[in-house]
Amino acid sequence: MARWRKTRGGVTFVGVLANEPKQFRAPDRSLIERIASGDERALGDLYDRHGRMTYALAFAIVRERADAEEVVVDAFGQAWRTAPQFDPARGTVAAWLATITRTRALDLLRARGRRARAVERAARGDVDGLAVPLGGVAVAPDREMEQREASGLVRRSLAELPEAQRRVIELAYFGGLTQNEIATELQEPLGTVKTRMRAGMEKLRGSLAPLFALEGP
Amino acid sequence: MTDHQWLELAVPYALDSLAPEERATFEVHLVVCAICRAEVQAFRDVTGVLAQAAPDATPAPELRDRILVEARRVRPIGRGRAGIGPWLAAAACLLLALASGYAYVRARGALRRADAALAAERDKLAARDSLIATIFSPDVATAALAATGKPPSARLYWNPSRHRVVMAVFDLPPAPAGRTYQLWAIAKGKPVSLGVFNTASDGRLTAALDVPPGLAFELTAVTEEPAGGSPQPTQTPFLVGKVAAD
Repeated sequence: MARWRKTRGGVTFVGVLANEPKQFRAPDRSLIERIASGDERALGDLYDRHGRMTYALAFAIVRERADAEEVVVDAFGQAWRTAPQFDPARGTVAAWLATITRTRALDLLRARGRRARAVERAARGDVDGLAVPLGGVAVAPDREMEQREASGLVRRSLAELPEAQRRVIELAYFGGLTQNEIATELQEPLGTVKTRMRAGMEKLRGSLAPLFALEGP
Repeated sequence: MTDHQWLELAVPYALDSLAPEERATFEVHLVVCAICRAEVQAFRDVTGVLAQAAPDATPAPELRDRILVEARRVRPIGRGRAGIGPWLAAAACLLLALASGYAYVRARGALRRADAALAAERDKLAARDSLIATIFSPDVATAALAATGKPPSARLYWNPSRHRVVMAVFDLPPAPAGRTYQLWAIAKGKPVSLGVFNTASDGRLTAALDVPPGLAFELTAVTEEPAGGSPQPTQTPFLVGKVAAD
């Protein structure tokens, strides 16, 4: 299990516990290979690993249970059909699934004509809850614990950003807005939006760096 | 646009926050700019984990079954040639037609076609992603094809592990009627066709072509050939480029 240590400059990955159960560590990539060869059980395993994350992401975007479920079914359907095209050089399996899910969720909002409402809500700051610290963590399998630690780091890193920078990034990622749309929504000059987005992402790039080394392909 | 201005687009591109036309222009630039590609990749790592900031939400337990049931309706793309499955499916359809009547089957067919059209659209997007992924691979080799530094020019990305090349062509007028352009890989002095292509009216093209697995080549060349292409080049190449690691 990954261990994190708070240091002055941020969080540093300090090592892996020796008693890590290896059977939980079969790489996501081997699951994708099995899915590409039509193994339904591997699709079930993929869902067991990443279903919660994809559902939470879908729900954060569409804000309705039934719609979020539809998005997740669609997203795993697309993963199932296009698994042979997955390229580990481009990012992790989790990132690939997140991209598919986010796209499907934003498509659904647009199709339902609900995007405007979602955007308005996001601009008002209703998505501030995204950067809240984690609640109590019950005893969980190692893998789940690891994911919780990772998501805790992402949330803390977002929460540590200046409010204005975080808002711009959240509107882009969870709201699906272009920079121009964000500028209109926040009634800020486009240049300001661009600068904030870049500054915020640069900070995240630094504070989240340990995750990229940890996750591997 | 200056290099600096291009580089500024890497963050919004990785966050999928560019307007469609801006994104398309930047993607053409990405084909020729390794610096911007590296920048995009670095920020993609960040966007790749942003999903984990979503507030915890627990899906209904039935969701897993729904996903598996959906999966049974379609098979993954690119699983190689079909075996007996489609024949069984066809036989099943025939039985169904006999048993349930024509109207039912027709309605079902329409639904399937709509499903297939939707899936095709999504897969088209996936194909575009795949094209970009071919370029982003760390083991990609590149070749700059130019006629003594003057236009037209082309840039080629060869991804050996995916058996693909992605080619970006600039300032090349479309081939005349009845003619086509053909890309060749020169392996040990022997040309092997990688496929035919043509440019759009603006003289540009970005395309992915398959490379025969195991084929290693040192040079690439482009010739003009009769429509449909030739088994061997019939003209002197007007573009030639040496393959080099990126």
